[in-house]
Amino acid sequence: MRRLHWAASLFMGLAAVVVLMPIVVVSAAALNGGRSMAFPPENPTFDRFVEFFVSEPVWTTALWNSIVISVSAAALSVLIAWPVAYWLWRANDGLSKVLAGLAAMPFALPPIVFGVGLGFLWSFTGALGQMWAGVLSLAALFAALPLVTISIGLQSIDKALLEAAATMGATEGVSFRTIVLPQTIPYTMSGFFFALVLSFNEFIVMFFVSSSSYATVTLQIFNSLRNGFTPTMAVAAITFITVSVVAFSLVARFGDLPRLMGADTTRR
Amino acid sequence: MPDLVLSDIRKDFGAFRAVDRVDLTFAHGELTALLGPSGCGKTTLLRMIAGLEEPSGGTIRLGETDLTGTPPHARKFGMVFQNFALFPHLNVADNVCYALTIAGTPTARARARAGELLDLVQLADFGQRRIGELSGGQRQRVAIARALAQEPEVFLLDEPMSALDAKLREEMQVELRLLQQRLKITTIVVTHDQREAMTMADRIVVMSQGRCEQVGSPQEIYHRPANGFVASFIGRANFMSGRVRNGAVQVAGWTLQAVPAPAFIDGSQVTLALRPEKARLGADLPVGNRLPATVTFLRDVGATRDIHLDTPAGPMVVEEVTDRGTGLHVGAQTQVYLPPDALHLFPAEPVAA
Amino acid sequence: MSVETADPPMAPPDVDRGPGLSGYFMVRIAFCVAVAALCLLPFLMVIAISFGEKVEGAGWHFAFDLTNYRRFFVGADWPNSTSTLYLQKLGWSIYYAVIASVIAVVSAFPFTYFLTRLTRKAQTLWLVFLLSSLSLSEVFIVMGWDILLSARSGLPMVFQETGLTQWLKDMGWFDTLRDWGLASPRNVKFKTSVFATVLTMSYLVWPYAVILLYPALSRLDPSLIEAARTMGARPWTVIRTVVIPSVKLALIGTVLLLFVFLLGTYVAVTVFAAPAQQTLAVSIYEAVRGATLNAPFGSAQAVVLLVTAVILLVIGQKLSTAGGKG
Repeated sequence: MRRLHWAASLFMGLAAVVVLMPIVVVSAAALNGGRSMAFPPENPTFDRFVEFFVSEPVWTTALWNSIVISVSAAALSVLIAWPVAYWLWRANDGLSKVLAGLAAMPFALPPIVFGVGLGFLWSFTGALGQMWAGVLSLAALFAALPLVTISIGLQSIDKALLEAAATMGATEGVSFRTIVLPQTIPYTMSGFFFALVLSFNEFIVMFFVSSSSYATVTLQIFNSLRNGFTPTMAVAAITFITVSVVAFSLVARFGDLPRLMGADTTRR
Repeated sequence: MPDLVLSDIRKDFGAFRAVDRVDLTFAHGELTALLGPSGCGKTTLLRMIAGLEEPSGGTIRLGETDLTGTPPHARKFGMVFQNFALFPHLNVADNVCYALTIAGTPTARARARAGELLDLVQLADFGQRRIGELSGGQRQRVAIARALAQEPEVFLLDEPMSALDAKLREEMQVELRLLQQRLKITTIVVTHDQREAMTMADRIVVMSQGRCEQVGSPQEIYHRPANGFVASFIGRANFMSGRVRNGAVQVAGWTLQAVPAPAFIDGSQVTLALRPEKARLGADLPVGNRLPATVTFLRDVGATRDIHLDTPAGPMVVEEVTDRGTGLHVGAQTQVYLPPDALHLFPAEPVAA
Repeated sequence: MSVETADPPMAPPDVDRGPGLSGYFMVRIAFCVAVAALCLLPFLMVIAISFGEKVEGAGWHFAFDLTNYRRFFVGADWPNSTSTLYLQKLGWSIYYAVIASVIAVVSAFPFTYFLTRLTRKAQTLWLVFLLSSLSLSEVFIVMGWDILLSARSGLPMVFQETGLTQWLKDMGWFDTLRDWGLASPRNVKFKTSVFATVLTMSYLVWPYAVILLYPALSRLDPSLIEAARTMGARPWTVIRTVVIPSVKLALIGTVLLLFVFLLGTYVAVTVFAAPAQQTLAVSIYEAVRGATLNAPFGSAQAVVLLVTAVILLVIGQKLSTAGGKG
């Protein structure tokens, strides 16, 4: 079964072309000399890149906000997910299942509803428009991702290893530090990168919780939707695609991506 | 050094009683094998000794110290797990000095100790290897070295040979026994393999359905099984049922003598057990204790030959040494002699498969 | 919630189980409360505010008032007149989501099947590619399709230049496209249309479909397929009689999850759907932060969307546990 039928390969190739098509078009549009998103680009130039990364404060501020918020949110989502996943793994009792269900809920339900609710929550607590509230919101939205990857990592630990450590004098804390943590680092990192990339790209929840007092890159694009897209936005798209590819390549490099995605481990 | 004493130990998993009122004393420096079929409670008993399971009742004491409620990390009994449970993220030396490292032993001392132990298990040059690079036998040696690093008072092994292939298993049994005798450490091995138990143990505890059926030396257990279960589980045995009459046993209308004479009330139902190699066939047999037999099947297994017989008391297997063969063929009529001192009598009861 | 609350399981519960335990327990409770507050409270507030009352301007106050739900289901002016405007919006939400998720799953299924037959290394490369496109923000994807479908550049221009438009006219199919609203008098036209909306939405979730189908298909025992082949089944028969039945639940579950995901799509709908064919998500946005500013009514619409999503997730859960037992 290793060699695919030519028709199967053709189908996969075609799918790749369709997936790539809008991405390629957007990337090319970034080269437009004018303000309009023409394809193929008119008067090709790299000026839009300079605008996005250097000269336009609107975009440089937004990019910096995107980076700060998504990195913090991803780190925080890992910190929320770890205790939940660990508790679920050790105890697997009713309370830990409820907690895991709660942590996964925002990701499973339509984000616009969660965004509206968070908007109400933060305006009640007076934190609406604060950047840390945005970080907390995205961390809650994406905690489900590290929760899943860390749980997969914990399940891959043979419980006999913990018993062996206990017979050698390790308390729960020591075996956590010396056995559990080192073996789950790749899974924790994967969860972090998943949350990072998705927070980086998120805008609808950010829209409701930022209350126009700050903007991330995607939110900035979302806000200027009615005025149409501009080639500078296409530069943002290229940046974001690059970040995603790098992040997931890192996950693939340091972790077992097929296993994380649920492939059968007994087959190669 | 003190003995390990279990008194009235029980373990229930819900309604299922895995270990039922076990009283055992493990003498210092002895190797004891817990032997029984799968599901007999031997592993649960071992895990309770290690502290990995909490007994539902009873006490575990080491000398004067009551260990019943002590968590495993405070007991620090070294244990070798069935699949060895080596830490895949640590190399061989780090695995071996794990107990020392977490106890805060200076690195240089821990390293030196790991070196000594790896030397002891003949893996001196393997310290820097990753666990994934080791063969099954090497992994087992690392697991043994690791469990011994903390100089445990009791050394526990849970089916330590089950992950090894047959040839390696026999070598490791001898090697482990020699190591244990050298270190004079109280050792408990769980196994379902009677050859393994016989090879290594000073004492064997035969278990079935959560209870101890018999405790004794390998020779006692083999030659004087306490009941039908032990007779059938240790080695092979032919079983017959009979009834006690006037100090002898009536089996299918034939009278058989047994030595020592049966201590049963006249008329009670008994089970007789006989090892295949104790029965004799052919001419010039002693008078009495004989049954007519027809040969139904012959099975040559190298040094010995199994002769399957049909007798009035039921089917029977006789083992004879091949080069002193009787030259029987399938369908031959013969006589089988059952020596009185080789017949074991038990109250009639169900017998293990 | 703070960084410290993430610590409890890492801090060992003391061996002597003394006073340390109650401290550990308190930290644990605090963590649970914080997670619940962050993950559950927003949904509860939406539900609470949906019963609230709008006051002049953009304000509102708490109440227990069913006006918002009445307006949603039968219109504000009921019983004098009945309006199903918002039910229609819900209808459009479901309509787009159903078609787009079915299209995505149907096309992702063979792709995923082929993907799982590749070597582990090739699978990893494909997964990096798919995950990158999956995580790409809706705004960028809509941007790409907007260029591709716009009349000035992209596909309509390609149709014109390659003579495909002329060919369609010659064949008489152009008029059919005009009937479907996919052509102007001179050339094909994709914006605004149901076609463009559904296309973009299924593109949005297509990588998700692959990722969700991947576990089931990659755990499919190849010896089942080989066994069927030795019994004389042709490849297509194998797929029909062995592969599809064994991943049936995964297929249904994936459609349901994608459907829930698509219920909240916002950007694709605002850009590609005609004003009369827009969805509840757009209307929620307008009510909460956009032009109409009526937070309680926006919340009521959000609750309806939420209930729709929860019902489908529960059905999916029921199906998968029933399948697990069988």
